[in-house]
Amino acid sequence: MSINLSTTLAGITLQNPTILASGVMGVSAASMKFVQENGAGAVTCKSIGHEERVGHHNPTVYSWGQGVTNAVGLSNPGVDAGVPLLSDMIKTLAIPVIASCFADTVDNLARVAEKLLAAKPVAIELNLSCPNTESDFGLMFALDPEATTRAVTQVKKIAGDTKVFVKLTPDGSNIVDVGKAAEAAGADVLTATNTLSGLIIDIHTKRPILTNKYGGLSGPAIKPVSLRAVYNLYKAVKIPIIGTGGINTSEDAIEYIMAGATAVGIGSGIYYEGIDVFKKVTSGIQSFMEKEGYESIEAMRGIAHT
Amino acid sequence: MIKSMEVYDKPLALQIKQIITENDRVKTFVFDYDFPGEPGQFVMCWIPGFDEKPFGIIRKNGGGFMISVAAVGESTQALHMMEVGDILGFRGPYGSTFSLPEKGIIALIAGGYGMVPLSYLAQEARKKNIEVHLFIGARNSKELLFKTWMEEIGVKLHIATDDGSEGYKGFNVELFMKHVTGNTKHDSADKNFDKVYTVGPEIMELKIAEICWKNNTPFEVSLERYMKCGFGICGQCSVDPVGWRMCVEGPVIDGEKLKEITEFGKYHRTASGKIDKYPWNMS
Repeated sequence: MSINLSTTLAGITLQNPTILASGVMGVSAASMKFVQENGAGAVTCKSIGHEERVGHHNPTVYSWGQGVTNAVGLSNPGVDAGVPLLSDMIKTLAIPVIASCFADTVDNLARVAEKLLAAKPVAIELNLSCPNTESDFGLMFALDPEATTRAVTQVKKIAGDTKVFVKLTPDGSNIVDVGKAAEAAGADVLTATNTLSGLIIDIHTKRPILTNKYGGLSGPAIKPVSLRAVYNLYKAVKIPIIGTGGINTSEDAIEYIMAGATAVGIGSGIYYEGIDVFKKVTSGIQSFMEKEGYESIEAMRGIAHT
Repeated sequence: MIKSMEVYDKPLALQIKQIITENDRVKTFVFDYDFPGEPGQFVMCWIPGFDEKPFGIIRKNGGGFMISVAAVGESTQALHMMEVGDILGFRGPYGSTFSLPEKGIIALIAGGYGMVPLSYLAQEARKKNIEVHLFIGARNSKELLFKTWMEEIGVKLHIATDDGSEGYKGFNVELFMKHVTGNTKHDSADKNFDKVYTVGPEIMELKIAEICWKNNTPFEVSLERYMKCGFGICGQCSVDPVGWRMCVEGPVIDGEKLKEITEFGKYHRTASGKIDKYPWNMS
């Protein structure tokens, strides 16, 4: 039996279904290349915004035992430095590079996206769901179907051949409504989900550990939450879904595929399993497919719904 | 590069047991806890309300786990204001470790606070009866860190100060260079030391690396880059063009592997991810 591990997201073919999630490693072309060497099927750069941001003061990332929490605060060099950076990533890597962007308003999001599109990425992911910038940006767009519609519509108008991915938040109870709104506005792919907002207090110093107090939770603790979102979105939309949240092993990835994901995003899995988590997950999926008699990812996709 | 078995990824709250004033700028903070870590590794030290920063580890025989910190910025000044009984949070140990030969003669070239990881390495080397030559550089006599401790454990000191208040007047790199070229016991300079270790300002590390590459002397360098997570996911400390993370594949890098890090001695990345060229490389 020949096993085909490739998967196709809105016409973009990945040799395997693992994608480096945005916000992790994607600071430079070199860090992305290191991820490629370790088996990723595609990579997403760290979100790029209008202006240079240093992000929040440390502590910005740590693991609390059941997962990782972070409030990096969208540090990035700004879009003017981000365009050559993105071009460098696309030129250096052999696998698809997804550009990620964020902004404070819909108009600014379109402006950042327009600049990034000059680098001709195969896809641009709209980060409408960073949980860590509420104090300076206000509530995230992805909590509101209308704001999501406006953001996707504006970017879709200028995107040309570049596919538009929309990253959703697990924080609201309306993720399916927001996903449907994104699809209706022309989104090509949904990424579900971003981190889940949370708070952790150190009882000895009697204060939250992160400088930002709140942080985005990732890792094993949030897997059932994101998996549920993917499962419900799959029933409601026709566009492909990238399942993201707590994927450390091939079992985790297969759960997402069975829930309906076309590809899987991996971030804090690098912390749990090492940088070669992409290789390990892919080879585990292959073994499972051999054992269970699946010839393609497509054949497994969504089977938990039957 | 053996990793410690035990790692704390959530800040472990530790009370300061003792504070030693080393000089006008540096204090050593001692903790009543045997925090794990090998020479070359670092901890992420949370200074509640201010920052979290990487510091080299020292586990002194009979002295316990300690960090030595210079007050150079807002957060380290806040740390210097702390008192015995106050609490700091520690994550780690993180990163790669120095590797010592089984026997022989080694040279350590320490610039400024490079003395912190290298003092711990010197202690471990002396336990194995390795002959240790320490080329220590500081601005003046008062800023020479751990001189008495190093003498006590039988380290051969080669001191250089900028103002000549103790030892050679000038840079420790020059002193090392003189030692390497001036030693005529052997036919070639590469026989002088079995291995060389250097930690300090990157310009100093670059000069030592150039000497060692030229003489074919095995060496290791600790490369400092801005860090956030400390455990390999944020990508902040990945170096060009190989992408190795200085918190996982580094900070200790073997001299041969260092050849592949083309940004070494040229530039680093700031907290935003922007490239910042070193002043001696502004062309």
